[in-house]
Amino acid sequence: MTPQSAEATKTIKSVEKQTVLKMEHVTKRFGGLVAVSDFNLDLKEGELIGLIGPNGAGKTTIFNLITHVIPITEGKMEFYGKDIANLTTDRIIRLGVARTFQNIRLFSNMTVRENILTAFHAHLKSGLFTAVAFLPKYKNEEEYFQQKTLELMKEVGIEHLADNISSSLPYGLQRKLEIARALATNPKLLLLDEPAAGMNPDETLELNQLILRIRDKYKLTVIVIEHDMKVIMNICERIVVLDHGVTIAQGTPIEIQQNPLVIKAYLGAGDEDA
Amino acid sequence: MKRRTKVLLSLTLIIAIYVFVYFSELYMDPFIKRILNTGLIYAILGVSLNLINGFTGQFSLGHAGFMAIGAYASALLYMSPETKMSNFFMIPLISPLDRIQIPFFWAIIIGGLMAAGAGFIVGAPCLRVRGDYLAIVTYGFSEIIRSLFNNLQNITNGPLGLKGLPTYTNLWWTVSWTIITVIVIKRIVDSSYGRALKAIRDDEIAAENLGINLFKHKVLAFVVGSFFAGIAGGLLGSLLMTIDPNSFSILFTYQIIMIILLGGLGNITGSVVVGIGFAFLMEWLRFVEMPMNIFGIEIPGILGMRMLIFSILLMVTILFFRQGIFGKVEFSWEGVAKLFQKKKVKE
Repeated sequence: MTPQSAEATKTIKSVEKQTVLKMEHVTKRFGGLVAVSDFNLDLKEGELIGLIGPNGAGKTTIFNLITHVIPITEGKMEFYGKDIANLTTDRIIRLGVARTFQNIRLFSNMTVRENILTAFHAHLKSGLFTAVAFLPKYKNEEEYFQQKTLELMKEVGIEHLADNISSSLPYGLQRKLEIARALATNPKLLLLDEPAAGMNPDETLELNQLILRIRDKYKLTVIVIEHDMKVIMNICERIVVLDHGVTIAQGTPIEIQQNPLVIKAYLGAGDEDA
Repeated sequence: MKRRTKVLLSLTLIIAIYVFVYFSELYMDPFIKRILNTGLIYAILGVSLNLINGFTGQFSLGHAGFMAIGAYASALLYMSPETKMSNFFMIPLISPLDRIQIPFFWAIIIGGLMAAGAGFIVGAPCLRVRGDYLAIVTYGFSEIIRSLFNNLQNITNGPLGLKGLPTYTNLWWTVSWTIITVIVIKRIVDSSYGRALKAIRDDEIAAENLGINLFKHKVLAFVVGSFFAGIAGGLLGSLLMTIDPNSFSILFTYQIIMIILLGGLGNITGSVVVGIGFAFLMEWLRFVEMPMNIFGIEIPGILGMRMLIFSILLMVTILFFRQGIFGKVEFSWEGVAKLFQKKKVKE
């Protein structure tokens, strides 16, 4: 069978939605501490899911495992059917995963524009010599990157700050810049780590719309970690709840809100006998 | 300002520099000329180390080692067989090298390539470590090179060094190589590759999470930096007419680091200006090493007093001008234009 026909049968088999990310029995141990235990996830194309749980539940660890910032101890991890458990971070990103960070990680000495431009570098086709000699091939690529950067800045609404140093931006805008930068790597799967942290209610509302808009426009699949339930309950189609590394519940926002295990994890289990 | 205008202005500047070089070669005092040559070599070293330390943020202490490789490799290629014969009187030079003599230009290039190769071989394992550890490992490398050159009698003539090297280095060579170094490194830094290097300096984890291959880019900076260090080594050898392994000790690396710190990390203009200034200051400050009589107290000449002055200068810079003398101000045609406009307004 030729690769093309193999591809064809694959698409016929999964007419509705392709699996983007598949995690099976993923476990991460730090010595004796089990940070994530037996985590399973089957993420379909275009889905927007929320990952919630009390502090220290292992949410960010899961993002770190997906992008191989730390290696998994056990289990299987596939991205569009490709085993990514042993790939390095930069290769996983180039396959089409992008993320933002809980504690914003912008290049603080660079301008807003440069921050986004840097993200295109992974997809640069020109070699070093072509770039240094400023040959037409590189020139075209650079122009394309510049134009795309402008589009992304407009998308998140920071184009008027293009030449400001990124660390001079207010917190909320830094978060948006980080999202724009993540989009510049041309992702299929976007991992947002507490995008609403430090935002006021208006900004949060705006963020909700932004996330929904970019998902549709760039055909993304999104996983959001968030403590702000206004984000999670309003935009997520499915929610996974973690507690001490264990998946305690999965379901739609309404199911999760009524799940006794979730309430127990968040509020403690004192009132059951009362 | 348009790109075309800037290129034209740069070309005019380069022509002007060469006109200056032409007249300098004819009329300049040989002593000043020699200092200027040394200064330009410092500038090449400063700019190339800046690519590694300043732009990529990889603290390397191995620059003198790369320089030694360039100096020896090129010297062994451009020296005449007769000079080699008289140099290697203890143990003869190994076979093909004792008969070869190639033009200076190619010898320098090969010296640079050898240094770049060493940069690759050293960089590949070293760059797996970060920060202070990298500094220690690269320092170790430069010491290994020194001790290797001290003991490889049949190639390097050991601690006796090479003497009577022909003086090919003149302002034409040093100026040309400085211009090439500045243009190449400036173009790298301004390109997408430069943005990746700066991203690695600012935040390695974020850079990696944008799909940038950290290892590849660090090695790239290392290889390009050590290539130009090798070139500078080759030029210096022919300027001083003598090289020995111990002149490429850690002290030399410290001098280059001082240059890039004074000029500002990640500032090419700073490295060039301070590099040239450093050479002149080193000569001018010779008087502090002479026996002195201050307020009736007789002070004998102490060798190395100059470095004390530089150390104080460095401390002042680090305490009060953390960004170096030039800070973030780089030479640009826009900047020059602004300067002129301001003057016009005042008039």
